Amino acid sequence: MFLALKEIRHEKLRYGLIIGMIVLVSYLVFVLSGLAYGLAQQNTQAISSWNASKVVLNSDANDSLSQSLITKQTADKVKLTTHEAYIGQAGVVAKAKGQAKLSAQFLGINQSQFIYKRVKVTAGHKPTTNHQIMVDDSFKDNGYRLGDKVTLNSTDTQYKIVGFTHNAKLSVAPVIYGTLGTWRTLSHVTSDFQASGIITNRDSFKTKTSGLSTLTMSKFINKLPGYSAQNTTFTFMIGFLMIIAMVVIAVFLYILTMQKLPNYAVLRAQGIPAKVLVTTTVSQALILVVGGLAIGAALTLATVLALPAGVPMSFNVPLLAGVTGGILLTGVIGALIPVKVILNVDPVSVMGG
Amino acid sequence: MSVLEVNHVTKTFGHNTNEVTVLTDVNFTAAAGEVSLVIGPSGSGKSTFLTIAGGIQTPTDGDVVVQGNGLAQLSGKARDALRLNHIGFILQAYNLVPYLTVKDQFALVDRVKSKGNLSATDLRHLLEKLGISQLINQYPAELSGGQTQRVAIARALYQNPDIILADEPTAALDSERVKVVGQLLHDLAKEHNKAIVVVTHDLRLKEFADKTYAIMDGKMTVA
Repeated sequence: MFLALKEIRHEKLRYGLIIGMIVLVSYLVFVLSGLAYGLAQQNTQAISSWNASKVVLNSDANDSLSQSLITKQTADKVKLTTHEAYIGQAGVVAKAKGQAKLSAQFLGINQSQFIYKRVKVTAGHKPTTNHQIMVDDSFKDNGYRLGDKVTLNSTDTQYKIVGFTHNAKLSVAPVIYGTLGTWRTLSHVTSDFQASGIITNRDSFKTKTSGLSTLTMSKFINKLPGYSAQNTTFTFMIGFLMIIAMVVIAVFLYILTMQKLPNYAVLRAQGIPAKVLVTTTVSQALILVVGGLAIGAALTLATVLALPAGVPMSFNVPLLAGVTGGILLTGVIGALIPVKVILNVDPVSVMGG
Repeated sequence: MSVLEVNHVTKTFGHNTNEVTVLTDVNFTAAAGEVSLVIGPSGSGKSTFLTIAGGIQTPTDGDVVVQGNGLAQLSGKARDALRLNHIGFILQAYNLVPYLTVKDQFALVDRVKSKGNLSATDLRHLLEKLGISQLINQYPAELSGGQTQRVAIARALYQNPDIILADEPTAALDSERVKVVGQLLHDLAKEHNKAIVVVTHDLRLKEFADKTYAIMDGKMTVA
C-alpha cells in the first residue's frame, strides 16, 4: 500500500487520467442502469404497489389486460375472497382547461376490494363516486391540482381530481384510479361486463372457469407491451458496456503494471519480496477503481438531482452492487494478469554490463 | 573470515553456435573488514560476476557461498531474504525508485525489513558524510547524477548489510566525491566489519582497496 499510494501521489496526472477513465465508465454504467431500471419500474409501478401474485384475464385476450373483458356472467362463477379485486383498464387522454393533455392509463377499481385499500394517497382522498378520480403525482408536475376538473378522451363528462397517489405508473403512463362504472363508460361497454381482469394476491388462487386464464404476475409483466423488448435492449447495452469497460480497465492496468517492471526489477535486486510487489500492484488497482467508482457514483447522484422529475431514473441496490462488483473485479483481474511477469521479473535487466 | 566465496564459477549464455561464455572458472573470496576491487573494462563480465555473487543470477557451473549458505541450495524466497538481510546492492543505473523521495527510499526499506537497519542518528551521519542530507525531500528526478549515486549508496548501506556489492559506484562522481565514497567504503569495512566488493573500471578507487582483482574476457586474476 505504501508504494501504491506514493506512486499515485507522485504521478498525479497519469493516475488522475486513469481514475478519470474509470469515473466515466462507471458513471455511464450507473446512469444507464438507473435509466433501465427506472423505465422498467415505470412499466410496473402500479402493479408492484398492489403486491399481487396473479392476474385472471379473458383467455382470448392474449395475456393483455387492455385487451381483456370479463362478463358479469363469467365473473360470477369465480369465487372471490378479500384477496381478489376486479380491475378495468382503459387507455385515456386526460385534459383540463389550461393544462397540457396527458396520456394515461385509467384503472377502474372497486371500493370494497383490496387494491382500493392498498393504494396510498399522498394528497386528498380516494375516489368514492363515478365522477371522482385519483391521479399519479406526475399530473401535479404537469400543473394539475386537487379539485381540477378533467375530461377523459372525447367525452364531455368531467371528472374531479380528489386525490393524488405516488409512483402509480403502468406501461410508462401515469395511472388514473376511478370506479369500475367510469371504466365501463370510458370503454364503451355495458353493465354486462364486470371488469378487464381479476387481480389476486393469493399464490394459491386457482380457477377452472371456462373462458378465463390465470397468469403469474411475472408472466403478465413480461407480456406488457414493449416491456420485454425494452428490458432486453437495456440488458444487452449494459452487458456490452460492462464487458467493454472491463476489457478497457484491465488493459489500462496491465499496461500500467508493465511500465513499472524496471522499477520492480530494481526492488527485486534489493531483495524486496515479490509478494510485496504483487500486493502493491493489486492494492493500487483497487485504490484506482474504488476511487473511480466513488466519484462516478457521486456524479450519478448529482445527475439524478439535476435531472427533471420526468426522467425515469431509479436505482436498485442488488443491480448497483452487481455493476460495482463487476467493475471492481475487473480492476483486480487487470492487475493480476501481469502477476506472473512480476514474479519472474529479472533483476539482471537493470544491472549494467 | 571469508563471508563470500565464488568457487569455479562459469557462466554461459545462449546455446550451440550462439553460446557465449561470459565467466570462466572464476574463483573469488571476500572477507569481513576488507574492500575487494574487481577492475575490468566494459563487457569483461564484471556485472555478471556481481549478480552471480549476489544470488541474482545462477552460475552455469560452480557455486557461490554466502556466509556459509550455498546459494544453489536455497529457494528463491530464501535467496530474496538473504539479499534483503545480508547483501546491499549499489547498482550502476536505475537504482532508485523514481516516485519515492530520498526519505521514502529509506522508509521503504523499513517496511520490508523492520530490524537491523541503521538508526536515525546513524542515517543522519551517513547522509552528512555523503553530502546529501539536504536532499531528503527530493525525488530522484530532481537530483544530479552524482547525487543520485550517493543516495543509492546510502540506501544500500541503510540496510546495514554484511556484504556490499557495488557496481560502478563512482561512475557519475567527480574526483573529490570518488575520494569521499572510497573512504566511506573503506571505513565501513574497517569500522563496521563489512565485506565490500566493488566492480569498476575506475582506477581512482584502487587506493581504498585491500585486494584488487582484474577481470578480462571472463577470466579473473589477482592484480
